[in-house]
Amino acid sequence: MVQIVISSGGPGALAQWVLLELQGQLEPRRSGALGGSVLGDLHYTHEGVPVLIVGHHILYGKVVQLEKPFAVLVKQGAKEPGAEEPGAEEPGAAGPDVSYTVTALIKTKLLFKTRPKPIITNVPKKV
Amino acid sequence: MRSRAEVDATLQTAKVNPAELLPVVHCLSFGPQAAAGECCLLQLEPGLCAEIEAGCSLVIRGEKDEQAVLCSKDKTYDMKIADTSNMLLFVPGCKTPEQLNADQASCNIIHSQIAGFSNNYWELRRCRPKLKKLRKLLMQNPYGGPDSQKDQASTFSKYTTEDLLSLIQASEEEILHHLQVIDARKIEGYWRILEFDYEMKLLNHVIQLIDSESWSLKKVPLRTCLEELGSLEPTEMIEHILLSYGRKYFDDGEVYFEMHEDKICRAIAQMLLQNAVKFNLSEFQEVWQQSVPEGMTTRLDQLQGLALVDRSSRPETIFLLKVEDLPEGNQERFNSLFSIREKWTEPDITPYIQDLCAEKQTTGVLLTKYARCSMQNGVKVYNSRRPISKQILF
Repeated sequence: MVQIVISSGGPGALAQWVLLELQGQLEPRRSGALGGSVLGDLHYTHEGVPVLIVGHHILYGKVVQLEKPFAVLVKQGAKEPGAEEPGAEEPGAAGPDVSYTVTALIKTKLLFKTRPKPIITNVPKKV
Repeated sequence: MRSRAEVDATLQTAKVNPAELLPVVHCLSFGPQAAAGECCLLQLEPGLCAEIEAGCSLVIRGEKDEQAVLCSKDKTYDMKIADTSNMLLFVPGCKTPEQLNADQASCNIIHSQIAGFSNNYWELRRCRPKLKKLRKLLMQNPYGGPDSQKDQASTFSKYTTEDLLSLIQASEEEILHHLQVIDARKIEGYWRILEFDYEMKLLNHVIQLIDSESWSLKKVPLRTCLEELGSLEPTEMIEHILLSYGRKYFDDGEVYFEMHEDKICRAIAQMLLQNAVKFNLSEFQEVWQQSVPEGMTTRLDQLQGLALVDRSSRPETIFLLKVEDLPEGNQERFNSLFSIREKWTEPDITPYIQDLCAEKQTTGVLLTKYARCSMQNGVKVYNSRRPISKQILF
């Protein structure tokens, strides 16, 4: 039987991350890897409303305390000769050396559910 | 990296008034490994978060053909992948408005790198541990006593606690608890279930001794049992049978057992019933009462989950039907019960579905879901919701 251990890493408190939940999918402006690209600016109003400016859109969201927090798991251990697909992992398909570490906990999410408002510009202001 | 000036320019283009905003901005970009898919999200049930924060580990268990489960040290959860049409981005070092207000730092740009993203996560739901396999494994090679030929030449596997943890989809505590429930015993480091005949042999020794010594059933002394029976059977086995069929207590520094009347009567009934397909009910009740120790009273309700009475046959009959021999899954269990008997009354069926109840679930809920209710001769009966072929009883 497969036994995959999920351990909570070394001593010390776990990092607290935040989840950003956006509608739809993201498409990079430039084709190629997403790594290194800018997503946008995240502001908060004085009332604590998160405001996200992504590309030509402005999104208003809300801070939600998660009833069921998430653990962020990072896979450890030997990779299979044929590399697995990133994203959804099937526990049953893991090799014998695979384990996971909890790298962080997420107790808060910023939920952006409203339709993005487009930012209409004529010419981007040169800085 | 974006500068404050660029951020302000964007705000101006977006026609957002900076005065309405907190001074700190998070400039979000994707980290170098963000798209690698190395991170995934596990949604935590209450209690699990605290366990993880305390440093406990979790284990995912499953054979290739089984649905995976996740086990903490004392609970088991079904695992599923939940898809969402939204994008979930995980951001380290991102602060909430409360944190920003509390922390009066001087900087006003935080460059945050998105560590990863996903549109699914692992979802957990508390479930019953899958313990039927445990009994099945131990029954492959039951212990028949030190003289048993089988044990010495046995090619069947024997299982340690570690072995069981790698074979059973349940948490360690649930496994250890179930081992106690089924009266398993560690013999030479391996968990064993006693062969029923051997178990009855041991029980019989104890009952005969109680009778010949005229002890009260509520006060059976351990020491004397071991002295008197030690020449017949290993002392650990004598102690094991007393622990299985009695409640241990101390009196004046000595160990005594209060014998379980119900459990003893039940075992003797099983011994009688396993010898035939079915019995004439009244004949059985007579023989049964005569077979139990003096001072014990037999009652049909002691046989719940062990035997079933057929009140529709003439004469009335009784036959062995052990709940632990029935399927573990809800639908399969009900199918099996309805193929044995078409219509069940609630008192008859309840002992055979009690173990299916999840935490805080009742048998009534299960009956509503898996059975159809009707009236027969003024009595409420349950039958299958769909046509079931009749099971042929051996």
